Amino acid sequence: MKFSVTKEKLLEGLQQVQNVVSTRTTLPILSNVLLQANGNEIHLTTTDLDVGVRGSCEADVEKEGATTLPARRLFNIVRELPSSEIQIDVDGKNAASIRSGQSFFKILGLPEEEFPPLPKFEDAKVVTIRQKDLRHGLRKTSYAISTDETRYVLNGVLFSFKDNKLTLVATDGRRLAMVEIELEFPRSHEADIIVPTKAITELQRLLTDDGEVKVSMGSGQIAFDLNKTLLVSKLIEGNYPNYRQVIPTESKERVKLERETFLNALRRVSLLASDKSNSIKLNFSKNNIDITANTPEVGEAKESLPVQYKGRDFSIAFNPEFLMAPLRALAEDEVFLDLIDEMSPGVLKIQTPFLYVLMPMRISS
Amino acid sequence: MDKKYAQLWQRLAAALKPQISTDSFNRWFSAVELVEATDKSLTLRVPNNIYQFWIESNYMTALQNAIVTALGSPRAVKFASPSGTAGQTPLEDLSALKGISPEPSSGAKASASVLGLNPRNTFESFVVGPNNEIAHAAALAVAQAPARTYNPLFIYGGVGLGKTHLMQAIGQYVWAKNKNVKVMYLSSELFINEFIDAIQHSNLVKFRKRYRQADLLLIDDIQFLGGKERSQEEFFHTFNTLFDGHKQIVLSCDRPASEIANLEHRLVSRFEWGLTAELQPPDIETRLAILRKKARTMQIKLRDEVLQFLASRIRTNIRRLEGALMRVASFASLSGKELTQEVIEHLLKDILQEEGRHSITIEQIQRRVAEHFDVRLADMTSKRRPASIAFPRQVAMYLARELTKASLNEIGDAFGGRDHGTVLHACKLVKRRMTEQDNIRQTISFIDSSLQR
Repeated sequence: MKFSVTKEKLLEGLQQVQNVVSTRTTLPILSNVLLQANGNEIHLTTTDLDVGVRGSCEADVEKEGATTLPARRLFNIVRELPSSEIQIDVDGKNAASIRSGQSFFKILGLPEEEFPPLPKFEDAKVVTIRQKDLRHGLRKTSYAISTDETRYVLNGVLFSFKDNKLTLVATDGRRLAMVEIELEFPRSHEADIIVPTKAITELQRLLTDDGEVKVSMGSGQIAFDLNKTLLVSKLIEGNYPNYRQVIPTESKERVKLERETFLNALRRVSLLASDKSNSIKLNFSKNNIDITANTPEVGEAKESLPVQYKGRDFSIAFNPEFLMAPLRALAEDEVFLDLIDEMSPGVLKIQTPFLYVLMPMRISS
Repeated sequence: MDKKYAQLWQRLAAALKPQISTDSFNRWFSAVELVEATDKSLTLRVPNNIYQFWIESNYMTALQNAIVTALGSPRAVKFASPSGTAGQTPLEDLSALKGISPEPSSGAKASASVLGLNPRNTFESFVVGPNNEIAHAAALAVAQAPARTYNPLFIYGGVGLGKTHLMQAIGQYVWAKNKNVKVMYLSSELFINEFIDAIQHSNLVKFRKRYRQADLLLIDDIQFLGGKERSQEEFFHTFNTLFDGHKQIVLSCDRPASEIANLEHRLVSRFEWGLTAELQPPDIETRLAILRKKARTMQIKLRDEVLQFLASRIRTNIRRLEGALMRVASFASLSGKELTQEVIEHLLKDILQEEGRHSITIEQIQRRVAEHFDVRLADMTSKRRPASIAFPRQVAMYLARELTKASLNEIGDAFGGRDHGTVLHACKLVKRRMTEQDNIRQTISFIDSSLQR
């Protein structure tokens, strides 16, 4: 196999796939990227057996063929190459000669046949989503995924296709983020699936604001076809907990907040939240919120935020990081915070179908 | 709900209500049932896993407070979902496995090697003799009823006497009986490495969870923990968590716990808590039995004299015994020659020599060298260094280096607390003079061979 390619194109192609390659792997082939030269493009594929990504880049193919090369090493070499023209020539023993300007590299690969093929999706259920919708939906939910491996059903985002809606949910037991996307699909395609964290991270990297993504759901696996790139992943087996149980049905007080102002105030005050209790307090009074943090033997911080509020005076404490995470992920100017009392969860909402439930922390008086 | 438990739950609920909001109570606790209560734990049945997740994450403190208020002392809280098993139902677990493993048919075999256990190391393949009776019986008892009888089980003995074999046999026995038991087998070195790795990548929590979930923890070669203070502390907590959770722990070591250098006392006392079983080198009958069993499983036919010879000459190490058997058998099948004693002796020259060498101590060397050069034994360790004493001392150091496994430091210590550099210098010097002067080479090789005899 022999081809020439520009440095920028190859680098871009490698960047899309190289994150899947894990550094610590038991199978050497999994740290390699599969290169397939056909027609006028190179297909690049990586997999860790759970998640696989396939991308491509334009190239002048002189001789078609396929091989696998160490992904990290290839990426590091290509990044450092001096000239923008790169020629790669792979011999029958999978040794690749890379020439660019005055540089020459030879790296040893493994045969293409050893590379595990990506799963096939025959008679899978296919749903098409606008990339922009999915990208924003994941951005608003993925930070709430649990990292606790003992609760493995929570180590991913729930994709619930139901009633012409796609509901994305992530929770770690203390907070829950949910987004709904209007979508049309046949009733037979209704399903609840859990997409693991790694696939979500990679997917977010690949999604753009244009075009559509074709989602194919097979048994135990899912594929996201983004036209130029393809991501396949195993699904987390098991039932996602009934998240609706978490969402409070009523709300007593509602305040409208400017997202950035609120976030900046929280960020400043949280500088004095102690590592141990790690909580900040929101003290509500007429048309005002005092955000306070105090750590014994360190100091305290307080910031006042004028708001429209006519309810009763009360205080509620939250983990600042958990309160700031959705505010960072959202793009809207205004957010609404619904509260019941100091011991009940708070709910963050925006104008579009999004919801974030956050458990308060106990206030030690 | 049992009437007694219903009453207990009433009391708990009463203690819980003031601590959390009414809405939270109704939402999370109104559907909870108390299904079992012992002195140590309470089991709550929840409608589905979101209850467990949410209660564990948010209401555990409140619940524990309520338990203390209602019952007077804390209890562990367990959860059961409607089917009666905690968390996920086993059906889902099975389907998860099927999805993940590429060939479900080979699942059992694959998993055994996933555990890091050698399928050959079972109780059936272990040859019992008077040297290892107790250890074997204790291991079998532990395997049959983990965490009931001897916890922890501490097995110690020299190299190649079957420590690893016994530990792996326990692991496989337990695992074969119940596939849901989480068996972890690893060497303490791996434990240390993973611990260091966890510190580096700051995922200690994950590390802890991994080990503290085990139902049966088998740690091989625990002596490597010696001198690693932070690893010891981490292991101490893991040990306590598992022990308090009534999980079986089995440890192996090449020496008794109290003799591990630089091991904290609290660990030593914990290791000695359960049962300590020693593996001794096998006697000749046992060695013969091992050889016969091994020959049968490897399907080799050797004359009884050959086995007798091997068993009588290789005394200290079973691994070496098996290696020798293998070598003799392959020689016989490859060359087709008659196996006479001379042939075998030649074939196993290095092993037999090594075997003889095993018993040489630094003290013997010192005595022999002192005798040969006609100096006092005390001069070997004294600070005096006229040439007439210094050179024999250096020769003794050189021989100690060549013939024993002692480190430079240990040799230095044995020679009156000398520095390792001194020993190194002595070795180099003697080596050089051996190449330069024939008579010195002869003298030293004479002492060497007289020691080996």
